Amino acid sequence: MKDKIFYGILIAVCVVGAAASAALVIYTFQLYQHASIISYIANGG
Amino acid sequence: MKLAKQILAIALVAAVFAAFDIAVYNVVTKRYINPNSASMQAKSVELSKYLPFEENSEIVKLNSSFKLTGDLPVIDGAAALYPVFSAFVNAVYPDGSVIFDGENFTPDSALHYTNTRGAYKAIVDGEADLIFCAKPSEEQLAYANEKGVELELIPIGREAFVFIVNAENPVNSLTEQQVRDIYSGKIRNWSEVGGKNRLINALERNEGSGSQTRMLSFMGGEKIKRNAFAALTGSAIGFSFRYYVEGMVGNSGVKMLSINGVYPDKEHIANGEYPLSSNFYAVCRKDDENENLRGLIGWILSDEGQRIIDESGYVPLE
Repeated sequence: MKDKIFYGILIAVCVVGAAASAALVIYTFQLYQHASIISYIANGG
Repeated sequence: MKLAKQILAIALVAAVFAAFDIAVYNVVTKRYINPNSASMQAKSVELSKYLPFEENSEIVKLNSSFKLTGDLPVIDGAAALYPVFSAFVNAVYPDGSVIFDGENFTPDSALHYTNTRGAYKAIVDGEADLIFCAKPSEEQLAYANEKGVELELIPIGREAFVFIVNAENPVNSLTEQQVRDIYSGKIRNWSEVGGKNRLINALERNEGSGSQTRMLSFMGGEKIKRNAFAALTGSAIGFSFRYYVEGMVGNSGVKMLSINGVYPDKEHIANGEYPLSSNFYAVCRKDDENENLRGLIGWILSDEGQRIIDESGYVPLE
């Protein structure tokens, strides 16, 4: 594989991975804002 | 050889991101997932389930001979008591006095629901005439004093302040002192009270909520300490009022703990054996001279009003 292609794929994987992680963190924060003690405990918290 | 290293590098980077996401989801995200809708979570209670004057409402329906007309007291209150005060309205208010737009009560409705914090503010600000709550917090009393409002608290029923844990937690009972020690950080692991070797994540509610005010009173001035590490790895204990846990939410994934060996059921609340039983109140402004208000409070304390409290699943005064 040419270096240019390799680094292109690597950057694409990093961008997609970072976006997915950021989305998960934002989603978690939104859940946290409306968290219920009862469902939190029931979910094994 | 170079190609194999490049593929390995790409796979490794992808695996690091995937491992991070899986860990965050399993350790944090999963615990906050709530099966109820976002609007229900924000309000703590599904208002439409307990609406007055609705055929399919889950409130207790009683055909009372006492009816209010004219200047109707505006009612508000706590989440855990909403089915009760909605049933009061259903029994004695005229049809059409409650206006619900599908999500909230409109400003000209005689019935409102803004939960404990909102209700105490509303009665001091004159936006509500009668609210149904646990005792006010020090901040709520200070706000009333600042506005020159004297509140009158009339006990109308009894309820249990309860501690809850995951249904699979082997601990079924704690003493009052053990609970205080858990919340003050002296007991940090469930194994110290007969449970598994896991840190205790002692949860609190938001300031000014009825249960948080009751918790601070229960702690008797002892400071509550949070263990941030336990929030990620521990097993939780929380608190609420019995009917909210058992009747309104009814989540089989949690269980209520006995305190000093006594389970918080209606029988033990009524006979006073459950140590954390307390009154809940109808609260009005002391200088409110609306005759309907006094009539309504008298009716709530009568056999009919107490029957609604009883049949709704709470414990009447007698």
